[in-house]
Amino acid sequence: MSSDDHDHKHCLEMFEKLSEYIDGELDHATCAEIQKHAEDCVACFSCLETLKRTVALCKNVGDKPIPQNLSAKLKEIIENMPKTAAP
Amino acid sequence: MTTAKNPNRQKIKDEDSDLIQRINSGQLDQFHDLVKRYEQKLYNFSLRMCRDHSDAEDMVQDTFLNVFKYLKDFRYESKFKNWLYKVAASTCIKKRRKSKFAPEKELSLDEFRPSDEADAPEEVPQWAQMPLDKLLNAELTGAVHRGILAIPKKYRMVIVLRDIEGFSTAETAQILNLSPANVKVRLHRARLFLRDKLKGYFENEQ
Repeated sequence: MSSDDHDHKHCLEMFEKLSEYIDGELDHATCAEIQKHAEDCVACFSCLETLKRTVALCKNVGDKPIPQNLSAKLKEIIENMPKTAAP
Repeated sequence: MTTAKNPNRQKIKDEDSDLIQRINSGQLDQFHDLVKRYEQKLYNFSLRMCRDHSDAEDMVQDTFLNVFKYLKDFRYESKFKNWLYKVAASTCIKKRRKSKFAPEKELSLDEFRPSDEADAPEEVPQWAQMPLDKLLNAELTGAVHRGILAIPKKYRMVIVLRDIEGFSTAETAQILNLSPANVKVRLHRARLFLRDKLKGYFENEQ
């Protein structure tokens, strides 16, 4: 996108594979191609890094504790379940 | 939820197998232990799938009721946790069908494709370069949560299962009855959607 030695079409081809690249789901040759392209193209490198960061934020966002009233309600529901039917 | 018996399939033993066997052999009081084990995970999954707290609570209750109803059909052909999320996802989808929401937005890759040279960034934005622990605070956590809730549901379910709950592509495909290729397509679009929301958040911060 930003360099003269590759065309925008190549950037778009890379763009479609970025998630698979981040997840390590591509073959070695395609990975190497993306790596090489990202080294030469600031726009694609930026796109890759912001996407990686998005994934990292999702992975680190953490859980909220369950509200005590919901936990108590679940306990009550279970206690009232038919003890002879399912499972 | 019911699965056909497949005698050639290998049984999978995991940390829940013994507990499930005890419940299915009649020790129904132990169902409470199963709920305790997963209530927080399911509550958070539900919060990410429903926009409303009370809907999320209903989804947790309905999921456990369905688990209780169908547990005898569990064949140990996947990890129990994967089966549980399959029940939860199915409960969530059925709940949506019953509601009167407008048809869901489809995300096209064209919306996110990088534009040509004119708009290309000259450097990686700071939010993608800062150490994660310095970046992630309560406010950003809230922004990520809001961004996730803004993703159309069928894409959201995939990103939540893959990037938050930590299921693999194959496991997510099994949970949602999708092909692995379809999971990858939805995941990429969901991530791009969320990235744009976060970009917006950081641009407004400056």
